[in-house]
Amino acid sequence: MRDVAIIGAGMIPFGRRDEDSLMDMLAYASLKALDDAGLGDKSVNAVYVGNMGAGIIQHQTSIASSLVDRLSLLPAAADVVENGPASGGSAVKNGLLAVASGYYDYVLVVGGEKMREITGWRATDFVATMTHPQAEYPYGITLPGMGGMFTRLYMEKYGVTREHLLAVSLKNQEMGALNPYAHVEMTLDREGIFDSPHAVVNNPVAADPLHLYDLCPVSDGAAAIILCPLEMAKKMAKTPVLIAGFGQATDTHTLQEREDPTDLKAVTLAARQAFEMAKLKPGDINVAELHDAFTILEIAESEHVGFFKKGEGGKAAAAGKTRFGGQIPINVSGGLKARGHPVGATGVAQVVDIVFQLRHELPKNRQVKNARHGLTVNFGGFGNNVVSFVLKRIEP
Amino acid sequence: MKKEIAITAFQCKKCGRIHYPYHDRCLDCKNREFEPIKPKGNARLLTYTVIFNLPWGFDQRFLILGVAEFENKIKAMGQIKADSIDRLKLGMEVRPSWEPVRVQAGEDVYGLKFEPVQ
Repeated sequence: MRDVAIIGAGMIPFGRRDEDSLMDMLAYASLKALDDAGLGDKSVNAVYVGNMGAGIIQHQTSIASSLVDRLSLLPAAADVVENGPASGGSAVKNGLLAVASGYYDYVLVVGGEKMREITGWRATDFVATMTHPQAEYPYGITLPGMGGMFTRLYMEKYGVTREHLLAVSLKNQEMGALNPYAHVEMTLDREGIFDSPHAVVNNPVAADPLHLYDLCPVSDGAAAIILCPLEMAKKMAKTPVLIAGFGQATDTHTLQEREDPTDLKAVTLAARQAFEMAKLKPGDINVAELHDAFTILEIAESEHVGFFKKGEGGKAAAAGKTRFGGQIPINVSGGLKARGHPVGATGVAQVVDIVFQLRHELPKNRQVKNARHGLTVNFGGFGNNVVSFVLKRIEP
Repeated sequence: MKKEIAITAFQCKKCGRIHYPYHDRCLDCKNREFEPIKPKGNARLLTYTVIFNLPWGFDQRFLILGVAEFENKIKAMGQIKADSIDRLKLGMEVRPSWEPVRVQAGEDVYGLKFEPVQ
């Protein structure tokens, strides 16, 4: 197997992009990654598109074929990779394995989703289609609803409080406000959403015990990377970022069939595989992008990947250990909470954000000093399919 | 007339693990033979939530949902019949019923509902 590096990364601002189609967004992000890699007028051998909902939302299928045509990348091999909210991570995995195997040299991976062209009512239903079709979906369960039930159990077992959740929410929106690609560029005021009597109105219950500002927004967006063998990457202009570790694991479809529903086994296993492949430990990571679709998930994942002991993640967040400049900066991009969560794009966007960090390209107020190793966790379903990467800066 | 609860769980004939919903192989021992079993008695509420952002197909202000464990250890999700979640507690006893849980294409879709036992 060959070592595989990321030689180009690009992203378009997430948010509500009424003026762009899904194909526009995929194309724009892809061109940015191609240009970033210095491959502007060249082709790639294969394209993997992470997307969850084009068939449902846009009533459009075979979007990878459309994209290679639009980008004039013909006759590159092209596939769509669908794995719910971990579609982006799975697309990166497919690209990684294709290059590592020696079959392809240059691969474009792009993730994108356009969710704002339908009503919130329809978007909520679209995301809920990943729940079990007989045992869950008919009841009207939503992913925030799953998050609410999980949060109640996590609070009961580990003493996580709303203060802990609030710390994640405030931190990620503060960082998102500094990120030009973020959907939500607005800091939150603690008093307005938590302490004052008006907080009941400003920050209502969404999926008890989760409140509105515990949830990520519904977003449009796309992100892309270019992969090639490390040896070839060393000859390119940009500092290569090695995909040093990869892991993926699954868990039961329904939460109720897990022996301990607070135990996110797939997160633990995916991260462990990624660390073992990279020959690194959680303590070696300088910056992480965790899948905070709900604030509780950032806390739970920070424990399951090994940054903190079980039950300590909430306290660590409240103590500022996961802030920019803290012990382990988590979601410096703003995370899903502020950068946004166009489901098929997220796993790729997490990798792009870590690439920017490891290439030391960000402004001072977001650049983690001397960052060498980064971790991503892309959480599919309700933790039933999780993809994790450890990325490593290769010194020029 | 009260309707029978129309869910079936599957107990592995080799190791005894109870599965709901159906799996082709046992989650623990990979055995492929199961004994169909029906939920028995009341249930115990394992977790719950109330959601205010409902999916398409639900024309109501909020929906209370939970997971409960029956006396014979079958665990299942259902809607909870309560005006507010303030009445609910983890571990409380709930009475199951089989009732319309949503309408699709003009037809009632039946499913589990749980009501707190006083």
